[in-house]
Amino acid sequence: MDIDVTRSAEITVVAPRGDLDLAAAEQMKRTLTDVIDGGSRKVLVDLAMVGYIDSSGMGSLVAAMKHARASGGDLRLCALQDDVRAIFEMTRLIKAITIHGSRTEALGAWA
Amino acid sequence: MSAPPPSGTFSMSSEAEHLQRLRQWLRTELERLGVDRPTQAALVLAVGELCANSIEHAYEGRGGEPIHVSVRGFDDRLLIEVEDFGRAFDPARYVEPDLGTVPDHGLGIHLVRRIADSVSIDVRRERGTRWTLVKYRPGHGPAAGSTEGGARSAR
Repeated sequence: MDIDVTRSAEITVVAPRGDLDLAAAEQMKRTLTDVIDGGSRKVLVDLAMVGYIDSSGMGSLVAAMKHARASGGDLRLCALQDDVRAIFEMTRLIKAITIHGSRTEALGAWA
Repeated sequence: MSAPPPSGTFSMSSEAEHLQRLRQWLRTELERLGVDRPTQAALVLAVGELCANSIEHAYEGRGGEPIHVSVRGFDDRLLIEVEDFGRAFDPARYVEPDLGTVPDHGLGIHLVRRIADSVSIDVRRERGTRWTLVKYRPGHGPAAGSTEGGARSAR
């Protein structure tokens, strides 16, 4: 899967492109771990280009969120498509992770 | 008694890279069977989770092993089977994830059970696991769990 990483002074935006499933989850987790271990304290994952996510993909995001919080930061999500949002609701993860409607909204609210 | 409707079948080998092809096939089948878009998305997720479970746990990451999926549409319900020939799923060892602790693994079977109206597991086989999911069409039911044949219910 293609994963764009855009670093700025305050927030690092990670934007995967494609299906976030078992085949892509390890790459996603590794990318997020590298970003957090590299010193980014605010990590925003933009899911606008992700049309499908499974429990492995969600697990990679949750593990990274826990790692970010343990490192004194946080990981948030934005721009979830309807099918992806439905799965976060089904697992109640929607209550545990801060989710913004769009990247612009997230960057404005979190800066 | 009328003959059962024909089923669509799909076979893949146990590499995660094949899951995307499975999802494409299943969406086409469900569209052909007149399944609405949100139910399609949910069932694609449920079947994907079972196949991922086969890859990760039944075959323990080994590639080249068979996984079969079939779908049949009845007037009142859809019947989906997922079958592997690896290490059998043990319902007695399954523990529901505690969603309050924000788990980062173990959510797959939970999702399957949330999505399907009934889930049964064939535990009488020599090898592997056959999962049978039932999803009732809108206006049909009941949604209460059921078992088929000698299989054990997972809910």
